[in-house]
Amino acid sequence: MIKGHRFTRATNAAICASIAVLFAACGSTPTAPVAVEPTAAAIAPTAAPAPEGTKTVLRVGTGDSGEGLTPHLAIIEQFEKDNPDIQVQLEPVGSGDYYARILTQIAGGNPPDILQIGDDAVPQFVQKGAFAELEPFITSATYPLDSNIYLPGVFEPGKWQGKQYLLPKDFSPLAIYYNKKLFDQYDVPYPNDGWTWDDFLATTQALTKDTTGDGKPDVWGVQLPGPWTSGFEYWVAAAGGRLVSEDGTQFEGFMNSPETTKAVQFYADLYNTYKVAPLPADMNAFGGGNSEFDSGTAAMRIFGRWPQSGIKENPNIDLGVVGPPVGAKRANVLFWGGFGISALSPHKEEAWRFLRYYVGEQGAQVWKDWALPTVKSVADTSGQSNDPIEGVWIGELNYLAPRAYVSTPSWGATADPALRKVLEQAILDPETDIAAALQTAATDAQKALEDQE
Amino acid sequence: MRSRRETLTFYLCISPWLVGLLLFVLGPMTASLGISFTRWDLLSPARFVGLRNYQRLAEDPLFWQALRVTAFYTLLYVPTELVGGLGLALLMNQRVPGIALFRTIFYLPSVLSGVAFVVVWTWIFHPEAGLLNAGLALLGITGPRWLADPRTALYALWIMSIWGLGRAAVIYLAGLKNLPRQLHEAATIDGANAWQAFRHVTIPLLTPTIFFNLLLSVIATFQVFTSAFIATNGGPLDSTLFFVLYLYRQAFERFSMGYAAALAWVLFIVILALTLLVVRSADRWVYYEGARI
Repeated sequence: MIKGHRFTRATNAAICASIAVLFAACGSTPTAPVAVEPTAAAIAPTAAPAPEGTKTVLRVGTGDSGEGLTPHLAIIEQFEKDNPDIQVQLEPVGSGDYYARILTQIAGGNPPDILQIGDDAVPQFVQKGAFAELEPFITSATYPLDSNIYLPGVFEPGKWQGKQYLLPKDFSPLAIYYNKKLFDQYDVPYPNDGWTWDDFLATTQALTKDTTGDGKPDVWGVQLPGPWTSGFEYWVAAAGGRLVSEDGTQFEGFMNSPETTKAVQFYADLYNTYKVAPLPADMNAFGGGNSEFDSGTAAMRIFGRWPQSGIKENPNIDLGVVGPPVGAKRANVLFWGGFGISALSPHKEEAWRFLRYYVGEQGAQVWKDWALPTVKSVADTSGQSNDPIEGVWIGELNYLAPRAYVSTPSWGATADPALRKVLEQAILDPETDIAAALQTAATDAQKALEDQE
Repeated sequence: MRSRRETLTFYLCISPWLVGLLLFVLGPMTASLGISFTRWDLLSPARFVGLRNYQRLAEDPLFWQALRVTAFYTLLYVPTELVGGLGLALLMNQRVPGIALFRTIFYLPSVLSGVAFVVVWTWIFHPEAGLLNAGLALLGITGPRWLADPRTALYALWIMSIWGLGRAAVIYLAGLKNLPRQLHEAATIDGANAWQAFRHVTIPLLTPTIFFNLLLSVIATFQVFTSAFIATNGGPLDSTLFFVLYLYRQAFERFSMGYAAALAWVLFIVILALTLLVVRSADRWVYYEGARI
């Protein structure tokens, strides 16, 4: 999942960037790393019985790293056994800067044949022609793909303007993690599926405790992810609003709607009025500096599934998971990563054969041990669909609201920073006039959008 | 008069450097100047837009914010490094047992990876669990929210940077070690006290080193990136939006290569202008071998 990497991108990234632009080296230098020249196969005489030389070499680019590469390699090994004419080479870029890297590879004319990206990048990449359209492959006679195998809402993020360009790798909706230990200790009933914003607020208030009597809470109702815009969209959708018009051209009338205002107000009030959530320890993208839930001093946390395996092993926590509370309507938002075939790939047929395997049932059999499987039959037979924890994540797929960042390629350059600023203001300053701040944000975003053209 | 042969040998000998300069510095710099007149997102072909990127800069509130943040930080940090670095060097110049160990310790942060030390500092600055606020609490002071508060975030980064004073101090120390001892002795014999000897002998003799450190320090603060990128990502509310961080965002998050290249050239010109200013001022206060340059 590309989104998850914002956690760790801290590490490298840095120095090259400043130098690179100053000297613009990255843009003009093809950055083929350890790439085997794919033309070797074409040069080799086809009649000659040299199986090694006639293999088509496929390159697969991924933003996963470390342990996350294991499922990729397992699938590749299986596929190569079944398809001796194809050799697949995984090109991990590591955390951080993944998009910058593949963009420079595309600019240099030498990208991997198969590329992994997050749903937030789909509009931008597809609109610029980075990916091949998959419809002819999906419906082909020899290697078709049945799009009905997927769980609900998991196939669609790979579309742009009605056409399919990417297929699902992994996904996560949001959910509420809760620590049964704290609920038991303070005799608060566990949350139930379908609970409301009012229930949620009451639960957080019942669990916020000042145990030392110093006037400051030491146990918190909920740990919130700060000014994290792409997660915040859930609150807007649950309030009955949306951040952008359906065609992706209007922020005015959406970002500043009464529903959005209500969502920001409720979110900020959790911090400042009800004081049931600890303030962000830092204002980085995820509010990643907060660790109250992990240390057993916050009873709930709203987030994606990414840290779940670590939370399960945490001795401070007896974990339960429940869907996010229902506001004016029941809603959730999806985070998604998928694979597509590069428009520049000279081996699209072979790439399709691998992609079909990678994101199909065989692939899902491997992925299921690492993330939620995308294929319904795999989720059912593995027992994940009915698991008290995994079943919640999968069930949330029935309530997905449309995503703002997949409706326009300009989201990241326009509305996202504007919304983020409002959230930062509202969290930092309890006196913020939220309606006015959202009005400014919508106007700024709209102006920035027009400026994009 | 030099022979042709000598000239040829000269160019042959410097050719590795010359080729490197042309290929990896001047070439890409020229290219980036060209890119700054285009709109380019790496995916579609670059489109020539003339001076549009530079016009956009003037209307971009974040550009001005980035410039303000960076300039303010320079005003904060450069004097700190000049005075603090010299102070540290004077301490490191004392003859006490184990001084070599202390010198190593003070210089150590400059050897560590920038990322690692920033990550450690974000923990020190943690508003609830951090070492700094825990220490302040012992004194009965409720510490600020440091990196999470737009009023304190830049100062927090400044405090963090003081850890790196060892780099400047080592250069000062080398300067101090080079000072001719007899001048200091002569001053003492003439009745100068320690402060007078320091002020009127040590400082003037040290001005070339101070000049060098000033120049490096100004250039370096205009290129601050790592600490802001990792500790705050420019926030909260753009209070630590350093110039190079904004440039990085435009280039590698928004993929506005043309705009980013324009930013880079503006930065280049700002640094060039400041460097020239410092160099020009040198003949008023920098002494070489007893004479001003």
